[in-house]
Amino acid sequence: MQKRHLILCLLFSVIGFAQQADFKEIDFSKADYIAEKVKVKRLYNLNKLTFNLTQNLPTDVEKVRAIYMWICTNIANDFHLFALNDRKRNKYAQDSIKLVNWNSKFKKKLFKKLLKRKKTICTGYAYLFKEMCNFAGIESKMVNGFGRTSAVDFSKLTMPNHTWNIVKLRNKWYLCDPTWSAGISLPQNGKFQFSYNNGYFLTEPKLFFQNHFPLKKEYALLGSKTPSFKTFTELPLLYGDAFKYIKTSPFPLKMYHQIKRDTIISFKYLLKENSTPKKIKFIVNNGNSNIEAKPATISLKKNELTLQHLFTKKGYFDLHLFFDDKIIATYIFDVKK
Amino acid sequence: MKTLKKVSAKQTTKLVTFVLFLTLLFSGVQTNAQILVKGVVKGKTATETEVLNGANIYLKGTAIGTSSNKKGEFTFPRKLKIGDVLVFTYLGYEKKFVKINNDATNLAITLLEDANEMLGALNTNKRFKSKRKQGN
Repeated sequence: MQKRHLILCLLFSVIGFAQQADFKEIDFSKADYIAEKVKVKRLYNLNKLTFNLTQNLPTDVEKVRAIYMWICTNIANDFHLFALNDRKRNKYAQDSIKLVNWNSKFKKKLFKKLLKRKKTICTGYAYLFKEMCNFAGIESKMVNGFGRTSAVDFSKLTMPNHTWNIVKLRNKWYLCDPTWSAGISLPQNGKFQFSYNNGYFLTEPKLFFQNHFPLKKEYALLGSKTPSFKTFTELPLLYGDAFKYIKTSPFPLKMYHQIKRDTIISFKYLLKENSTPKKIKFIVNNGNSNIEAKPATISLKKNELTLQHLFTKKGYFDLHLFFDDKIIATYIFDVKK
Repeated sequence: MKTLKKVSAKQTTKLVTFVLFLTLLFSGVQTNAQILVKGVVKGKTATETEVLNGANIYLKGTAIGTSSNKKGEFTFPRKLKIGDVLVFTYLGYEKKFVKINNDATNLAITLLEDANEMLGALNTNKRFKSKRKQGN
């Protein structure tokens, strides 16, 4: 019996590291090419659109890829809709009837805009992905939960704020987040910028969990090892670009650290294949100014990157990690004497 | 007139056979599938009911389908037979399956709003900044 458990554990640990690599032998270039060629002005005929995207692709994973790629490169995030919904949801947070009515009214508005103008917010992306997968005969579900970004404050966030998907391929569930794969929002000027991020497509569940906490725990795809919500909110903050470079980040496991001066801090990352950063730096902010710092040591063994940093002064610091001038992660260090 | 001369007796026979074949084929189709399905698709939410523009209507298990117009109206592009199942979908509403019978020439379909909440977290690469207490 114990032996069987061991085998099962081993099996799961192997599966855990697979994900997009499960489909290594499949070349997505045909799916991506089709996604680029298919253009529609409005989305009134979703089944036809799905058919055009998937009919010439032999495998389910390629069909999913074409649908995903098409959505991520054609559907814009609507900042005004987001702001409107955010405002109303906060306003009605204590009044469940008003909240339900608002949601119903907003939903209608949202989908009309999506079909007519190809603009939406998270749940719209997730709905569209699920629906198009279903048209292609592939099982997919929407997952509601907590998405974590630098702009999310968990001390104020009481309700779920994000929606993403799981999709079933070769009898196994996989994770993806079409909203965050599509691009970046610039709240300062209310604009959205398309910029495809492949890091959120069939992501390794452990990494995906760093900024996605599902309301239904089983959708984390981590089985019995799913950490609690509290643990989730205490994880280091990872940014979108991290998902392009990193497979997992074994440590530090927390964002906030209280340490003594002159302690050496180590950081470890397992990198994806062919994604070794050329330039690595820290930016340390003490509340007033940013100071650029090279890691005290950098070591790369196969795909295992280890960095070290030394705080010589006391203070309260935000430490940001950059790969190739792109922000990857943030940690907080409260350095005592 | 050159082209006319070229049509040989053999080709004429071929053509006649083909036409005959087509007639047979269509008469066959007609006996099986003869119901022209039309209808209107509406959506019902907690507060109101209104017509749906762009609802998808397709024959279950196939890519044969159409979508509703501004008035919610549709005409299914292919004649159907009794027992065929049409699927009605619109984002944000529960899917509906409708089995075709003789009365299906004028369908009134109402989709019900599903229970999902509309959420959205913005994706951002803005640098995080700690909130510091005074004196920190």
